[in-house]
This record gives sequence, structure tokens and C-alpha cells, in this order.
Amino acid sequence: MLERGWSADLLRDAAAQGWFSLAVPEEVGGLGIALGELAPVFVALGEHLVPGPLLENVLLPALFADTAVGERLVATVERGGVLAMADPGISCAWSAEVGRVRLTDRGLSGSIGLVRFAAQADLLLVVADAPDGPHVCLVEPGAAGLFVEELDSADPGSRFARVTFDECPAGQPLAAGAAATELVGRLRAWARLLLACELAGIARHLLTITLDYVQQRKQFGRVIGSYQVVQHTLATMHASTSSLHNLCLSAAADAGDQVGRELEVTAAAAKAYASETARQVSEDALQMHGGIGFTAEHELHWYYKRALAARTWYGDERELELEIGRLLILGPDAVPPQNGGLRQPAGATS
Amino acid sequence: MIDLDTYRTNVRAWLRAADMPVVPRDLDKRFAVLREWQRTLFDAGWIGIAWSTESGGQGLTAQHQLVFSEELARAQAPQPIGLIGLDVVGPSIDEYGSEWQRRTLLPRLLSGEDIWCQGFSEPEAGSDLASLRTRARLEGDTFVVSGQKVWTSWAAQADWCALLARSDDGAPKHQGISYLLVDMKTPGITVRPLVQMTGDREFCEVFFDNVRVPADNLVGEIHAGWPIAIHTLGTERGVYTLRRRVDAEVALDDAVAELRQRAALPDGVPLSERFLATLGKATVALRALDAQTRRTVDRLSAGPTPEDSVDKLLLNGIEQTVYGCLADLLGPFRSTPTSRPLGLEAERWVHEHLYSRAASIYGGTSQIQRNIISQRLLGLPRG
Ligand SMILES: Cc1cc2nc3c(=O)[nH]c(=O)nc-3n(C[C@H](O)[C@H](O)[C@H](O)COP(=O)(O)OP(=O)(O)OC[C@H]3O[C@@H](n4cnc5c(N)ncnc54)[C@H](O)[C@@H]3O)c2cc1C
Repeated sequence: MLERGWSADLLRDAAAQGWFSLAVPEEVGGLGIALGELAPVFVALGEHLVPGPLLENVLLPALFADTAVGERLVATVERGGVLAMADPGISCAWSAEVGRVRLTDRGLSGSIGLVRFAAQADLLLVVADAPDGPHVCLVEPGAAGLFVEELDSADPGSRFARVTFDECPAGQPLAAGAAATELVGRLRAWARLLLACELAGIARHLLTITLDYVQQRKQFGRVIGSYQVVQHTLATMHASTSSLHNLCLSAAADAGDQVGRELEVTAAAAKAYASETARQVSEDALQMHGGIGFTAEHELHWYYKRALAARTWYGDERELELEIGRLLILGPDAVPPQNGGLRQPAGATS
Repeated sequence: MIDLDTYRTNVRAWLRAADMPVVPRDLDKRFAVLREWQRTLFDAGWIGIAWSTESGGQGLTAQHQLVFSEELARAQAPQPIGLIGLDVVGPSIDEYGSEWQRRTLLPRLLSGEDIWCQGFSEPEAGSDLASLRTRARLEGDTFVVSGQKVWTSWAAQADWCALLARSDDGAPKHQGISYLLVDMKTPGITVRPLVQMTGDREFCEVFFDNVRVPADNLVGEIHAGWPIAIHTLGTERGVYTLRRRVDAEVALDDAVAELRQRAALPDGVPLSERFLATLGKATVALRALDAQTRRTVDRLSAGPTPEDSVDKLLLNGIEQTVYGCLADLLGPFRSTPTSRPLGLEAERWVHEHLYSRAASIYGGTSQIQRNIISQRLLGLPRG
């Protein structure tokens, strides 16, 4: 499954168990749980390294259930279908490489070099540029003028494709103009938050197995966990992993009440911290395992590769640090006064 | 002895005229082509540059070797394939081996006719190498070897193995080890390649089941293999470090060339500050390493010292910084090996990055190097 980056069976099982209805409003048949409360779910997905379009399938129906396209989104994921997001916003620093899509009166044109699960998708959410700002619409994979070229994937959690539009009809519109700007900001912020949670889960799992290993592995007649450098490494891994976990839960809890720049900063900060921390924890875990951590026969490399991939998706730490700086400096009411830190979310660890 | 500048000129002239091999991806084919290439280099006198002439070397210095390695890399020519032999175990055989071992085995090691592997680590003996349990029992004029090695790089391709085995169970652990040279075709040896996180099958498990090794294949004295093992590890930390430094420099040059080529295209985007700073960071790290290894070269002919651990520790950190920087330039495209973001070949840079993570593990982990530095070099008490 990890060699292939996803499993259709697993996705159908997840759908049957109602995973994708958790955050869908009750009016549309979901459980109506706030998106922020799904943070622990995404942490668990990271801990178990669950591959597939979980992010897209959870996020899109939850955010857009009450719009004109809501029913289609919900119906698609509930029968185990796949949603994909053709969003150039997966990267700022590499935007020239990623590409973009333009909407004119002749339809959608352009290409996006990296789209998760586009070749498997039943519906494609497209973030395009129109003369009056962003334009968001739903396109079916069979649409005329839409070309999907699957790429080799080195990410155990994903499949990728390059998606090209050549005067492709714009499908069903979701939002345009100022409404679309807000919607795209919200979409990307929640994608960042949930990815941060997944990275926190990866870090937690690697900490757990490393803690276990250093208590079993003996060298020089002692368990290696009795050496101070090993202890300090584990202590650092623990401190950064638990602070990442806390940040993710707090950010997800705060984000529910936030909009605009405030939400964007919250999400970018969590994802930046997660990107940096998960990479560092993975590398420490590898180092503490010695030779055995470098084999493909050990599970560690899957987690490391997923961490490296998720780290860059919707921005790595440097990209997001820059983005936060920009959000803080630009505009008069960039970030309202902080108050989110006061609330203690359920499940936070010390 | 030929001075370094003239030597460099000669190397360049030869490389310019040489027929460079095209290296296939497939492991077996790659091995065959690079073995041939090593033979060509050997015949031209570019292998074993700092080795004694009796062993088939050129009798020059480590500085000459470095000049050649640098020029080889600058010419984008591949390395010879038998690096474990050339940079790790061979120099110890040259130093401690018998007349017979040096005269018969080393010329073939140098020419690439024989590929060598290093059978040191075991499942229970990694950092604590001296606790190894593979047994070598002397019966008349033959050692009978049984046990298991692991992480043995290139064992599946190797013709010979430099093996550490316990010949005296009763002795303190450092005093009962013998250093044996084992023909990999001897009955009783089974090799199982392991897949690494890079996807390569470089290292292997090697099983020895009553393998009969002639006593003539013992290096040095029986039970006295430990100091020779230390010599081998020191060589790995010194000589091999120099080679990896050159590799990292070439990698950065190559990446810069790929980026510049791309920037020259009509739709080429000028690099953002972020990317420029990443290149800067890699360059700073390499300059520090360059300065460090210039000192190493002056010291190498005196044989391994705890100073080698300083080089290895620094190299590992710098290597990981450089390849980490280069992989960072791929951004989200690191997940799609066939893509070329900013003109960079994603597959190569991801592979190099993952491989660099092993540098702080093989040849003694960074933690062990720090123990050596603090205890043997700085004289701090054992923890
Ligand atoms: C790519 C690769 C190629 C290799 N090729 C070869 C080869 O050709 N031949 C060969 O013989 N071996 C080879 N090795 C094996 C390598 O030498 C060992 O992996 C290494 O010595 C570490 O041993 P270990 O894996 O058993 O880790 P362990 O010794 O179990 O170490 C696990 C962790 O504990 C730490 N640790 C252990 N002891 C101490 C201590 N006293 N103080 C502080 N920290 C400690 C280590 O630093 C490490 O972080 C290779 C390894 C790799 C990854």
C-alpha cells in the first residue's frame, strides 16, 4: 500500500465507517463535528501512516457542504470516491514551477504540475485565476480539454499527476471574486493545519518506536538508552514532539473561531513548526536506530519519506515563515490581538 | 618525486583524452562498466597512487591522490568501483599484510579484478565492534569460520572480504580477534542483499557456515587483529572522507550548472533569494570542509589517528548540510522523481540526500566519533 501511495479498498472502508462525514454539517447528513476537533484524527492518521486522499476527502465536504456543490462533494466521498485539489497554492516559492490555471471566456487554460490523486479523482476542485480575482470550480475528470498525466511518486502517502487544461469548460462554479479569495484562504489554512497534525502524528510515532528501541538495543554491555547523548537526543525529540502536538491541537481549536489573516497566521505557524520538527525528529530517530534504520525492511524510512513530502506540501518552514512575515507587515489590521493561547484544548499534553 | 602542479597537468591531459564510460543504472551492468573503468585507470597509473610500488601502487603521496580525485571529479568522470578495497581495507593489507598477500591480492584489488568488502559489523556488534561473535577456529593450517555479518556493503558483488572474527573466546574481547582475508567463493558463504531506504541494494547480510580459510590468509598475528581493524577504520575515516568531500563539491557544482542552464532559457525565472541563500549555505559548509581536509592530507601518510574522527564528524555534518540544501531546492517536487524543478534532476538529488543520512552511521556513528574525540583527543574521562 505504501509502495503505491494509496488503496482504493482502504478509502472505501474509511467511507463506509463514516470518516468523511465527521465534519460535514448535520443538515447535509454529517455528524457536524467542528473541523478543529478532527485534529486528533489527523494526528492518528500520521501515527499509522495512512496513505490516500484523506486530507482532500475530509476537508472539501466539510468546508463546502453548504454551497451549491456540497451535495456532489458529500455524495462522492461517501461512496468511497476520490477528491483532488488542483491548487497552485501548494507552494509559493516554487509557484513558477507549479504553474497556474486561468479562466477566460473560453474556459480554463494552463497547468498545475503537482496535483495529489488527480489520476484517481472522481471530482477535481480547481483554483483558477480570473480577471476579477480567484475563481473556484468543480471539474469532472472526463471534461473536454482536461489532461491528467500521472507521475512517479516517491511519497508513500500520495500519488501525483500533472493536470493540464486546454480551454476546458469551467464546470460547476463554487465561488468567484472576493468570496473566492476568502474561500481559498480558508481552504489552504485548513490544509496546513491538518497536514501539521499529520506531521505531529509521524513525530509521535517515531518518538515511540525510538524510545522503545533504545531501551532494548544493547552495545558495550548496556542498553544504548543509558548513554547520556542518547538520553539527550530522546529528551529533545520528546520536547519538540510534545510541543508540536500541543501547538497543533491549540491551533486547530483556535482556528474554528478565526477568519482571514488571523486564521492564515495560525495555520502557517503550525505548519511551519510541524515541517521543521517532523524532519528533525525523523532524522534523530534514524540516527538512534543506526544501520537498521537505513534499511527498507524497517518501517522508519516510510515515515521519514512521508514527513519529507508533507513538509513541503503547502509550504515548508522557510516558505511559511516568510508568508507569516508578509501577513504581519502587510495591511492595517494584519493580525488582531492574540487571545487564542489562553484556551487549553482537550487532549493537550505537557 | 613529481611535483603536484605538474602532476595535476598530467592528470588533466590524460582525462581530456580519455574515453569516458557511460554508467548504466542497472546495478550489475554498472558494476561491470565501472570495473572496466577501474582497469583503464589502473593501467594508466591512476590507481593506488599513494600505495607502495611492491603492492602495485605508484609510491606517491596522499596529496597526489587528492589531486587525482579532484580532477577525476571535475572531469565528471565516475569513481573506480572498488572503493572499499581502495579506501578502506586495502591500505591495511598494504601495511600489515604478508609478502604473499600484498604481491598477489593487492594488484588485483587495484586493477578492479577483485572487488572487496568489509565484514566487520554484526547484528549485535555495531558501535561495540569488539564484541563481535563470528568464530574462527584454527584447525591445523585452516581457520574454520562460522557466524553472521550485516550491513556489508557490496558483499553480493565482492570477490574478497576483509573479515574480523573471534579466534580466542577466553581472551579479553579486544585480544581474541583475528583479521582474515576470505575468498567469497569459498563454500559455506551465503549473501543476502538488503534494500536500503534509497532503494539500492548496497549492503548485505553475510552468513558463514564452517567456511574454511587457509591460515595464509591471516593478516598479522593470530588474535592480534584489533589494531589492524582500528587502522582500517581510521583509513575509512581519513581517505574515504577526502573522497566524499570531492563528491560533495562536485554535487554542488553540478546543481549550480543545472540551475544556470535553466535560468538561461527564455522562460527561465531568476532564482529567488531563498534559493540563492540555500546555495550560499552549502558553499559556506564546503569551504569549511575544504580547509579541514587540507590539514588531513598533510597528516595521512603518518597513518590513522583520533584526529580522523574530527574530520569524519565534520564531513558528515557538512555532507548532510550540502545534500539537505540541494534537496531543499526541489520543494514539493521531491516527491516526483521524474520532475526537473528549476532545472534540477529530482531523482538524483533525493537519492543523494537520503544516502547522506547514512554518513553519520557508517564507519562509526557520529556519537562514537564524539566519544573518541572527547576521550582520546581531549583526554576527558570515560562516561
Ligand atoms: C549505508 C551503510 C553501509 C555500511 N557498510 C558497512 C560495511 O561495508 N561493513 C561493515 O562492517 N559495516 C557497515 N555498516 C555498518 C556500520 O558500521 C554500523 O551501522 C555502525 O557502526 C553502527 O552500528 P549499529 O548499526 O549496530 O548501531 P548501534 O551501535 O546499535 O547504534 C545505535 C545508536 O546508539 C548509539 N550508540 C551506541 N553506542 C553508543 C555509545 N557508547 N555512546 C553513545 N551513543 C552510542 C549510536 O550512535 C546510534 O545512534 C554500514 C552501515 C550503513 C548505514
